[in-house]
Order: sequence, then structure tokens, then C-alpha cells
Amino acid sequence: MPKRGYFGVSFYVVVGFLAVFFVLLVTGFVIGPLGRSLFGDLGLPAWLIVPRPVPELPAEVVFHLFGFPVTNSIIGAWLTMLFLVVFAYVITRRMKIVPGRLQSAFESLLGWLYHLCQRVAGEENGRRFFPVVATIFLFVAFNAWLSLIPGFGSIMVTTADGHHVHLLRGANTDINMPLALALISFVFVEYFGLQSLGFHYLGKFLNIGQFLRSIGQIVRGRVRDGMIGMFTGLIHIFVGCLEAMSEFIRIVSFTFRLFGNMTAGEILLLIAAFLVPWVFAIPFYGLELLVGFVQALIFGGLTLVFLTLAVVHHGEQGAGD
Amino acid sequence: MEAEVMKMLAVGLTAGLGLMGPALGIGLIGFSALQGIARNPEASGPIMTNMILVTAFCEAIGIYALIIAIILAMIV
Repeated sequence: MPKRGYFGVSFYVVVGFLAVFFVLLVTGFVIGPLGRSLFGDLGLPAWLIVPRPVPELPAEVVFHLFGFPVTNSIIGAWLTMLFLVVFAYVITRRMKIVPGRLQSAFESLLGWLYHLCQRVAGEENGRRFFPVVATIFLFVAFNAWLSLIPGFGSIMVTTADGHHVHLLRGANTDINMPLALALISFVFVEYFGLQSLGFHYLGKFLNIGQFLRSIGQIVRGRVRDGMIGMFTGLIHIFVGCLEAMSEFIRIVSFTFRLFGNMTAGEILLLIAAFLVPWVFAIPFYGLELLVGFVQALIFGGLTLVFLTLAVVHHGEQGAGD
Repeated sequence: MEAEVMKMLAVGLTAGLGLMGPALGIGLIGFSALQGIARNPEASGPIMTNMILVTAFCEAIGIYALIIAIILAMIV
């Protein structure tokens, strides 16, 4: 194919594109708050005036379902789930040995996730942990990305009480969803640990073996060895308590990392779209795409790392650390 | 001083002081990652992956400070 002019299109297309961009930039500057403070009130029609954004931290209730309040972030989560299920169904409906474009895109995504699990956790553990890690990754990533589609935050409905609320909201910006995912991750770490090691898994937290052995040594007369052993035993008990506490602190840290990144990004986009409409938000959109992907990778990757640490036998762990 | 003034001061100081630490941390991470890549350019793949991972940890601490500033500014 012959290579055409600039970026693959002719010169006039590039000039037209730049002209449209410049017009949008100037118009956006004038009708935004910066233009209004510079030029005063120009008497613009009502649909061109940019209202001040009001970011709400708790999610607003849209309707009640059998007495259960359904917030707009729940509807956003339903949208993501619907998207993922329909996407997976459509792709796997007629699978071919030599895949078409859509199927091979899906295959490359899943293959990349599977190799990540295997690289971190080993061959068979990778296969065991793959469903949990891939679900968390895909859910968080598509929650973040679907909320960037233009028009996502613009659909307004009137609730039964007469409030004007958004119909949809990214599920990661409501603190309950990251909390739920962090609890799921916690439960699965404990479950896989108990499944692999049995009750010896709890020996990581209640590390009183050395302490009791040292008491036995003192009773049998070897006092010096017993005292040294008792000190080491006390340290082991302390480290066990720290490990137990860190399991629970991890829930808080997961929640706030995801919630903070997503909410800060949403507020940033709102303010950027408010300052100079249409144009200023473009680089922040790119940032939000990247941040959504990285946060999903962090959440899934950290879950994978903690799962791997949980199924390792305690003896090997203690010597290395 | 009135309550409104104190609130503004608190928001500014929380965000400003709280984000100094993570910024320094991320700079140090980048410094060591670049040193590692300079010594061993073939290992740049794993080094970059680990750098992104540790950066997310560090950034989370900064996000905690940002959340407190947002809560102070908009809810209190």
C-alpha cells in the first residue's frame, strides 16, 4: 500500500482536523470559567454555560428494590457484569481452531493473565489461582474503563423523591465495591492457605512451638539453652501476631488504594472538563485509562502474591525472611 | 481564627505535606530502577514490572492523604 502524506491521510485532512481542534479550544476557553472571569457575562445560551461540578462521595440511591436501596454505582457494576458476560458469550459461541480477530484478542488477554499467574505462583498453583485473579483483574479494569465512555455520567434520572441523580457511576468510586473485592481476596487467601496446608496454616500466626520447646528444655535442666530458646520463642510469637494483624490491615490498604485512585481520577476529570471544556480533559483521559489498567493489575497482582505466600510451607518461609 | 479559615488551612496542609513523602519515594524507586537498567539493559523487562508494582504501593500512601484532604474539603 503506498504511504500517503501525513499520518496516513492527506494534507487537507490534517489542516481540517487542526482547525476544528483550534475552534473547540477557543470556544471552550471562552465559555468555561476562565473565559467568564476574563470577559464577563457574554449572554451565552443556557446550553453553553458550564455548571460547577459537584462531586459526591457517597453514591446516590436511584430506586428501591424490595426495600433494598439500589445506588447508581450498583447499576454501573451491573453494566460491567453484563458487558463481560455478553462479551465472553459472543466470543466463545463459535470458536475456531484458527481464531478470528476478536477471538484472538480475547485469547491474548487471557493468555497474558494466565502466564502472569504461572510466572508468579508456579505451574499448578498458577492454574488454581487463575480464576480468582483474572476475575478481580477484569472486573476492576472494565469498571474503570467503562466509566470513561462519553455519556456515561450524563444520563440523569429523577428519583421517586424528586432528586436529580446520575443513573450510572463507576463502581470503583463507591467505597463499598473495593471493600467487597478486598474481603473476597482475603477470604480466598485464607481458603487456599487452609486447603493447601491444613491447620498448619494457622501455625504461621500462633507460632508458640519454639516457646513451649524452650520451657521443656528448662524443666529438663538445660537452663541456658532454655533461656535463649525462650527469647527466640517470644520473638516468634510477636512476629506471628504481626502477621495476623497484617492480614487484616491488607483489607484496608486494598480498599483505600483502589477507591482513592478511582475517586481522585473522577474528580480530576470533572474539574478538567469544567476548566476548559472539550479540550483540557484529553490528557487526563489518557491518564485515567492508564491508571485504571495499573490499579487492576495491582489489585490482581497483589492478590496473586499473597495467595502464593499463603500456600508456601512455613519452614521455608521462616528461614528466608 | 474562624472555622472556615482553619478548614482551608487544614485542607492545604494535609494535601501538601502528605504528598511530599510519596513523591520522594517514587523518585527513589525510579532512581534505583534506572540504575538497575543501566547496569543490565537485558533485565529491563522484570525491572520495569517490579518498579510499577512498588510505585503503586508508594502512591497508595499519597492517595490516603488525598482522601483525607477531599473529605475535609467537601464533607466537613
